[in-house]
Amino acid sequence: MADHNDPNAVNHIFSDIDYSPADLYDLFGWPTAEGKNVTLALTFASAPAAGVLDTDLLYRLLLTSHPRIAWPQTNEVSLESVLHYFDAVKEKYLGELKTAEIRVTVKTATSVTVKFIGFPSGDFSAEVEANKVVAIPAPNGKTIQAFIGGRDDAFFNDLTGFFRSINYAPQFYHVPHTMTEARELPIPKTLLELEGNDLFNYRPDMPTWGFTQLDGTTPKLDLPPGPWTWKGDKYKKDANGNFRFVYDGRDCRAKQNCNAIIFEFPHDFITPDTAANRLVNSWGESWVRKAAHKIASIPDDEPSWINHPWKAVREKELDDELKKYKLVDTDGQPFADAALSERENDRQLGANNFWLGPHFIKRLAHLGWGFGPSISALGLKTSFDHDNSPVSIHKTYDLVATAFPRVAKTLFQKLNMPDSSWNPKNLNIPLRRPFEIFIPNVCSIDMDTTGSWPFGRRLEDQVATRFLAMFLDMEAELNGKKYHIDLLGDQALWDSAPIVPKTPPNPLKNDKEFLDHFPYLAEPWPEKW
Amino acid sequence: MACPSVLPIPQLAGYAEELDRTEQDVAQLEAKLQRHPNNQELRIRLAYRLFHRASLTGRMEPFQALETAIHQNIQQFGPKEDLCLLKANLDFRFHRLAETQRDLEMCPLLPGRFDARVLLADIKFQQGQYEEARLDFEALIQENRTWDNLARLAHWKSKLGDPAEADRLYEEAEDDLTAKQMRAYAWLELQRGVLALTHGHYAHAWKHYRRAQASYPGHWHTDEHIAELLAAEGRFEEAEAMFQSVLAHTLKPELQQALAELYLFTGQAAKAQPLLDTAEAAYLASVKLGGVHYFHHLADFYTDVRHNPLEAVRWARKDLELRSNFSTQSALAQALHCNGETSEALQYIKLALASGVQDARIFSIAAAIFESAEKTSEAQNYSKVALRINPRHADFHMHH
Repeated sequence: MADHNDPNAVNHIFSDIDYSPADLYDLFGWPTAEGKNVTLALTFASAPAAGVLDTDLLYRLLLTSHPRIAWPQTNEVSLESVLHYFDAVKEKYLGELKTAEIRVTVKTATSVTVKFIGFPSGDFSAEVEANKVVAIPAPNGKTIQAFIGGRDDAFFNDLTGFFRSINYAPQFYHVPHTMTEARELPIPKTLLELEGNDLFNYRPDMPTWGFTQLDGTTPKLDLPPGPWTWKGDKYKKDANGNFRFVYDGRDCRAKQNCNAIIFEFPHDFITPDTAANRLVNSWGESWVRKAAHKIASIPDDEPSWINHPWKAVREKELDDELKKYKLVDTDGQPFADAALSERENDRQLGANNFWLGPHFIKRLAHLGWGFGPSISALGLKTSFDHDNSPVSIHKTYDLVATAFPRVAKTLFQKLNMPDSSWNPKNLNIPLRRPFEIFIPNVCSIDMDTTGSWPFGRRLEDQVATRFLAMFLDMEAELNGKKYHIDLLGDQALWDSAPIVPKTPPNPLKNDKEFLDHFPYLAEPWPEKW
Repeated sequence: MACPSVLPIPQLAGYAEELDRTEQDVAQLEAKLQRHPNNQELRIRLAYRLFHRASLTGRMEPFQALETAIHQNIQQFGPKEDLCLLKANLDFRFHRLAETQRDLEMCPLLPGRFDARVLLADIKFQQGQYEEARLDFEALIQENRTWDNLARLAHWKSKLGDPAEADRLYEEAEDDLTAKQMRAYAWLELQRGVLALTHGHYAHAWKHYRRAQASYPGHWHTDEHIAELLAAEGRFEEAEAMFQSVLAHTLKPELQQALAELYLFTGQAAKAQPLLDTAEAAYLASVKLGGVHYFHHLADFYTDVRHNPLEAVRWARKDLELRSNFSTQSALAQALHCNGETSEALQYIKLALASGVQDARIFSIAAAIFESAEKTSEAQNYSKVALRINPRHADFHMHH
């Protein structure tokens, strides 16, 4: 669930909310054609069906290309420094940065209009048939490859394991939408089952509990009356002294489809100075047509903003087309919305999530108290300062200043890559740090790399496991090799760990082979989910 | 005056499609429940879909089926918040205010939830606690500026004297809606149309009704309003045809009464009588089954249509016992007035007017009662106010 079921307004986990084509799933982006092209794929819920689009939806892919500039205060680990960074990002995104845009509006269920706005070659548009690879000629003679339609969902992830790790009740219990306090229950987040955490620990008598089935149902239990807390003081161990992993590594998105908007275009279509502008930043948005504009053929007597200035204020930054739509979801980084912003509808800010910077620090610290001690218990080093707590702790923060010291290393450490393949030209490209990755909430593709996360996001990246790796201490070593973002995906690690099941937390590959050519995502499954 | 029938209406999916989709949803959920009979989420989802289906049709039988389903679910799963909230919404719809409150209290934390607080504010309005209701609506909007709460405050403003602000709020509510909520959009347009109609602005009412019709085609609820407007304009044959068409969709007794009243208004008493018989029988049958939501209609029925002041007073008092507000107070005042009980009628109409309500019909009733009490000066004054609010208040109107 990079961004599945987010925000809550379209969260289908709740019984009274239907699947919505406005529910953005993932944004993938990576360089192709030896770094000359960039490919972007925005995936979303396949409603009404895979390959069938909703005519009330508008999708945007926003893009900028600019130089790779290292943050000047690179060695200063302080709250002031990171807050200064958030401010600088804000200035950049509200200030000088100009974004270009690919806008997709759905004409019929199987045809779309694609508008290219703000690119150096000028604005133009094309009518595109859905579910077909189409070559769109740009005014400057370049060709853009496009595919818009149904695909296999490229995300592979033990969704239920993740929800178990954060004690997310609606996946396991019938939780009415009204009960906002019964979502993430106040039990320590954890990678290892907690002794006596009967609310979430695996139940051998109910192996399908919390796992969504192909018919759309999810076996759930009745939420017992509270308090929904945990009074224990240790991780659960079996008779052999093994911990119980909250994950079992299965692919909860197996055999499920999505709809996708996929483009591949030359880097110099985005920027004339590709030599200088080595980064391509992108994020996606879904918008739903406003009711009033569904019947635009009956005009008002006069523009309503004449009488209603509130409308003018709200709409002043939107062009005429966007004024007719309402923003629902944004997607840039996997987990930026779902894991760090807690899916709140009013936190769908896209790149503008610098407002959430302070919240991001508090939330990361909250997660750290859960995952940090779990990592330590497995004998690994963590980046989170948990005072050598022997077990996960449920702790929330009101003040950024209090949270920051705990999470400073997690925020500032450079995330090691598993090997050098991500940097094929062996350039001096700094490793990325979590605070740079999540703020702003964009998929930031480095055109000199393979685009493997966090230097973009390739289809085969296991980002859920890589997200957890933020809590590993990247200065530590295992078997003579520094920790890296794929360490938790290494089967050998689990084979030697005192844990069952002996599996990486998430599947290592997608249930369907990706294509080696455009549109890269696999064909959709025949079933409609 | 533009005629709606000659305007090009965009062919959007509307009532028939939504009803069809809802029927399919219900069928699919029922099929899934065959395989997972004790799946709580499926059962509750089905109950919500049944509520949706019943609301679409407006007929009593689907509501009764829903009531049974809710009852069974609560018996099997206990008082879950979503079930109790659904039951509360159902009870509120049928004027069972005390039960609504009890439904919410079945779950200890539910009365404090946003959705429940909305209902509690609605109850306050229905019970004549206008200021409390307004403050609650404003607080809810402050918390979460949802279209439905904007509409609630708009309704408050429309009744208590600020139609311009009411229309602005309705328009803002509309702006919050997406193409996935066209029925709600059409409903808001109808409210704006009613606002215009009750102030005598028929052209504006047409504009909104046409937009409602265009945005959500085929809904009997829109046609019902259009029929009333046609009748108000004196286009009786068109109104009659429209009422008959609506009745073909939904046999609601209040619509039978409306058509009968149109016949009476146009001097066709013979045509009216069978419809009135049927409507009266349906009202009384509902009461016999424990229903209370037709008390108001019965009071109006015996006051305005079948002159039986004693019965009118009886039903008006019953309604007032449930919810004492300007609407029930003025209905009782009118019934008492018809029954020659002028002194008590005066008492109740004063109570209604003290609310600050700005409704031409209530001022017109007040004028009649004060005239009868030989308070000519006040009577003339209220007549003027009625005319100022709606110069056309004597035109045909329905009892909503």
